[in-house]
Amino acid sequence: MAFLAPFALIGLALSIPILLMYMLRLRRREVVISSTYLWQQVLQDNEANTPWQKLRRNLLLILQLLILLLIVLALARPFIIVPAVSAGQIAVLLDASVSMNSTDSPDGTRFDEAKRRAIELVDTMSISDTMTVIRVAGAPEILISYTTDRVALRAAIESAQPSYAPGDWNAALTLAAAGAAGSEDYAAVIISDGGITEAVNLPPIPGDIEYIPVGSSGENVAITALATRALPGEPPQLFAQVTNFGLNDAEIIFSLRTDGTLFSADRYTIPAGNRLAITDFPPLQDYTVLEAAITYPAEGTYTDYLASDNTAWTIGGTSGARRVLLMSEGNLFLEQVLRILPDVQTFRGTIEQGMPSGEFDVSIFDRYLPPVLPAGDLLLIDPPSSTSLFTVGDETTETGNIRVSDDPLMTFIDFSTVNVRAFNRITASWATPMITADGGALLLAGETGDRQIAILTFNLADSDLPLQIPFVALMSTLLDWYQPANTIVNQTAVRVGAPINVRLIGDADSARVTLPDASTRTPRGEESTRFFTETDIPGVYTVELFAGGELIASAPFAVNSFDSSESQIAPRPTLTIGGTEIGNEVEEDIGQQEFWSWLALAALIVLMIEWYAYHQRMNAPTLFKPLVRRRV
Amino acid sequence: MTEQPLFDEKTRRKLEQLTLQASRIRAGAIKGERRSIKRGTSIEFADTRNYSPGDDLRRLDWNAYGRLDRPLIKLYEDEEDLTVHVIVDTSASMDFPKDGIPEQHKFDYARRLMAGLGYTSLATNDRLFITSVGAETQRFGPARGRAYSVRLLSFAAGLKARGATDLNAALRDYATHTKLPGLCLILTDMFSPSGYLEGINALLGKGHEVAVIHILAPEEVDPTIVGDLRLIDSETGAGQEVSMDAGLRDLYIRRVAAWRDEIRREISKRGAHYIAVTTDYAWEKVILYDLRRLGLVK
Repeated sequence: MAFLAPFALIGLALSIPILLMYMLRLRRREVVISSTYLWQQVLQDNEANTPWQKLRRNLLLILQLLILLLIVLALARPFIIVPAVSAGQIAVLLDASVSMNSTDSPDGTRFDEAKRRAIELVDTMSISDTMTVIRVAGAPEILISYTTDRVALRAAIESAQPSYAPGDWNAALTLAAAGAAGSEDYAAVIISDGGITEAVNLPPIPGDIEYIPVGSSGENVAITALATRALPGEPPQLFAQVTNFGLNDAEIIFSLRTDGTLFSADRYTIPAGNRLAITDFPPLQDYTVLEAAITYPAEGTYTDYLASDNTAWTIGGTSGARRVLLMSEGNLFLEQVLRILPDVQTFRGTIEQGMPSGEFDVSIFDRYLPPVLPAGDLLLIDPPSSTSLFTVGDETTETGNIRVSDDPLMTFIDFSTVNVRAFNRITASWATPMITADGGALLLAGETGDRQIAILTFNLADSDLPLQIPFVALMSTLLDWYQPANTIVNQTAVRVGAPINVRLIGDADSARVTLPDASTRTPRGEESTRFFTETDIPGVYTVELFAGGELIASAPFAVNSFDSSESQIAPRPTLTIGGTEIGNEVEEDIGQQEFWSWLALAALIVLMIEWYAYHQRMNAPTLFKPLVRRRV
Repeated sequence: MTEQPLFDEKTRRKLEQLTLQASRIRAGAIKGERRSIKRGTSIEFADTRNYSPGDDLRRLDWNAYGRLDRPLIKLYEDEEDLTVHVIVDTSASMDFPKDGIPEQHKFDYARRLMAGLGYTSLATNDRLFITSVGAETQRFGPARGRAYSVRLLSFAAGLKARGATDLNAALRDYATHTKLPGLCLILTDMFSPSGYLEGINALLGKGHEVAVIHILAPEEVDPTIVGDLRLIDSETGAGQEVSMDAGLRDLYIRRVAAWRDEIRREISKRGAHYIAVTTDYAWEKVILYDLRRLGLVK
C-alpha cells in the first residue's frame, strides 16, 4: 500500500490537541462519599468480568483518535497496485445507444453495467493516467475531457444517461482519435454491447483499443415498421412488421390503439429470428394518433429485454397535405419527385381505368387528357390535344435560347443547363409564358376561372430536365403556386434523433413542441421554418403554433426507433474496427486502486458510534429513577 | 445533623409501651420485670416434670400425685432483668449524606434509633449500656430507670461521627470487657474493610443475643452521581476514580444487594439477627415493626 498524498499524514499531529483536550475535559470532579469500600469491589468485579471495561473510561478518546486516523488516511489517498485494462491517456467510449437500455444485466440495464465497468477503470487509474469519457449516442458527447481527477470522472460517468437513438460510432471514434494526437501512450476503451453499425467501416484509432462487452442475451421482439397508406376513395390501410431477434420463439399480443382507445389486439407467434408482416387489420376509422404495442401473455415465458422498441406510433390523416392526382402511363421521374416533395399526398390513377373518384387539390396529366377536365388546379405535361382552354399547335425543335421570365414565380428556377429536344407550340390567352425557347413557350402558367393551370409543352422524355435539380425546384414551385402547404411539420413520423421542420403557417409567430414526457421545447430559428432536433425520446410529439400568444394550430408527429441494428441486441464478443478485430479486454496493465472512500465510510461509522457513546453517557442521568422510598 | 429533638412526645409514649426482650433471656444481676426462661423459685407456676431422686420434696405437686399416682415436681418461672447493650457506629462514614435530606442522614438516623431503644430499655427498668465506636469510644451506663432518660438524650446529642472504625476490633474489644451478657443491638453501616464476623462471633461467644441494624442512606443503595468522578472515602481520604454511567450504576446496585445478602446470611447462620434499613424508612418503625417481628420487642 502506498499513498498518493502522503503529506496528509501530517494531520495525525492533530491527535496531540485531542489528547490534551481530552485530558482537560477528563479532570474528574471530586465527590466525598461515605466509603469507597463497595466501589472498589464493583470496579474489581467490572474489570474482571469484561476486559474491555478497562478501556471504557477512555472509549470516547479511542474513538476520536480512530476517527482522526481514518480521516487522515483517507486524505492521504492510499492505494494498492492492481491489474488494469488500460493505462496512459485513456478514452472511454460509453455506448449509450438504444440497445444499452436492455435489462439483461445484473446491474439493471446494460448502460448501468457499462457505467460500473467505466468506474472500475477510473478506480484502477494510476496517478499519471488521464481519462476522457465519450458518450456515444445519436451525437457523440464528451462527458468529461482528459483529466486525472477521479472524483470528477466518477461524477461524469454516474450522471450519464442512455439514449433512444442509435450510436454514431463513426463520429465518436473520430472524436476519440482526435484526442490521440501527440500521445505516445494512448488507449481507447469501448464499453458496448457490440451493436455498432457497420463496424467494419469504422475509422482506425491510433494506439491500443480495448473492448469491454456488456449484456448477455439477445432476446428481443421489436416493431420494425409501422405505416399507413391510403388509396383514393378508400380508408387508410395499416402495415406493421414485428421482428423476433432472439433465439426463442415468442408469443406476443399485438395491440393497436387509436387516440387512446383499444382498436384491436391479436395474438401472434413469431419464430426465433423471423419477422412477421401484419396487414390483416380491420378498416381504420378517422384517428389522429395510432399506437401499436407488443405485450406478452401472462402465461408466456418469453423475456423481452428491450422495451423501448415494443411501441410505435403513426399519425393519421393528412390534414394540410396537398392531395395530388397523377394520371400517367408511367413516369418514374414524376412519381419520384412527388414522393420526395413534402406535404404532398399523391394518388395514382391509371389511364386504362380512367379518373378515380374523389377531390384533389391538383391534378397532373402527363401526356393524357381526360374527356372532361376535373375541377381544381391542373398541371398539364405535353397535352396531346387542344381543349377549350388552350390550343395545341405543331411540334417544333427550335429549342435553343431557353429563357426564364422575371416573374416572381420563377425566382429560383434555373434552366440554363436544361436541354429540350422538341415541344409543341401551345397558346392560351389566359396564360403567361414563364419559360420560353426560340420556338415558343416551354412553360405556360396562369389563372382562368377559379383555378390555376400550368402547361409544360414538352414531353419530359424529350428533355434532360427530369435528371436535373431544376426539375425538383420547378415541381416544388408549381405545387406551392397552386396551393401553399398549410402543414405545420414536414413529416409526421421520423426516427429517433432525426430533425423535423416546423413551419409557422398563417399568422403564427411562435411555436412550441410538447415532448412525450410532457416537457416543452421551443424550436430554434428565426425564419418561418424552424428546426426541432430534440427528438431523442420515442413517442408522440405535439407542435403548437401561437399568434400573439394565442394557440392557432397544432399538429402531432411521431418519433419511432425503427432500427434493426439496435433491436438486434445480442451482445457481440468482438468488434472489427479499422480492419482489426478486437476481443474482450485483458488486464495486462498496472493500475492503482484507491480505497479512501471506504476509509471515509469507516470514519463516518465510527463517528456515529462516538456520538452514540457520548450521548449515552450524557443522557445517563435520565436513566436513573428518582429516589423512592426503599425498604429492604 | 439536625438539632431537633430526637423524638417527639407521641413517639415517646409509644416507646413507653414497649419492652425489649431476648428470645434467650440471660441471667441478670437482679430480679427484673420479665420472666426468665429458667424455671426457678418465683411464685408463678410454669409447668411440671417427673420427679427424680434428689429433688426438693417441698416442690412436689401433691395434688397431681393424688390424681395421677405419679410424682411430679412443680416448676416456677423465675423473673430477672435484661441487660441491653447498644453499640453505635460513630465513624465518619456515618456522617452521610452531608448535603442530603436531614431526616435521611445516617448518623442522625442511628442516634434517634439508639435513643429510642435506650428509652424503651430504661422505661422497662432494664440495665442499659450504650457505647459509641468510632474515632473515640464513648460510653453511657450502666443505667436503669426513667430517671436516666434525660442523660440518655444528652449523651445521644453529644455524639459526633468522625474518624475510622475497625468494626471487628471494636466488637471484639466490647465483648472482652463486657461482664453482663444481654441483648446487644449494633447500629452500623458495616463499612468496615477489616470485616465484622470476628466481632460478632466474640459477642455471641460471650453470651450476647446480637442484632445488627444495618443502616444505609438511599444514595448508597441507588447512587445518583454521574460522570467522571473521583470518589473520596470519608474515613480514609483515599480516592477512587469512577466513570459513572448507567451500566456501572446497575453493577453497583447489584453489588450492594449481594453485599447485604451476604451479611444477612453470615449473621443468621450464627443465630444473630439482621435488619437492613435505608434512612428513608422511618426509624421508629424499626422498633415498632422490625424488632417486634424478630421477637426482640414486645
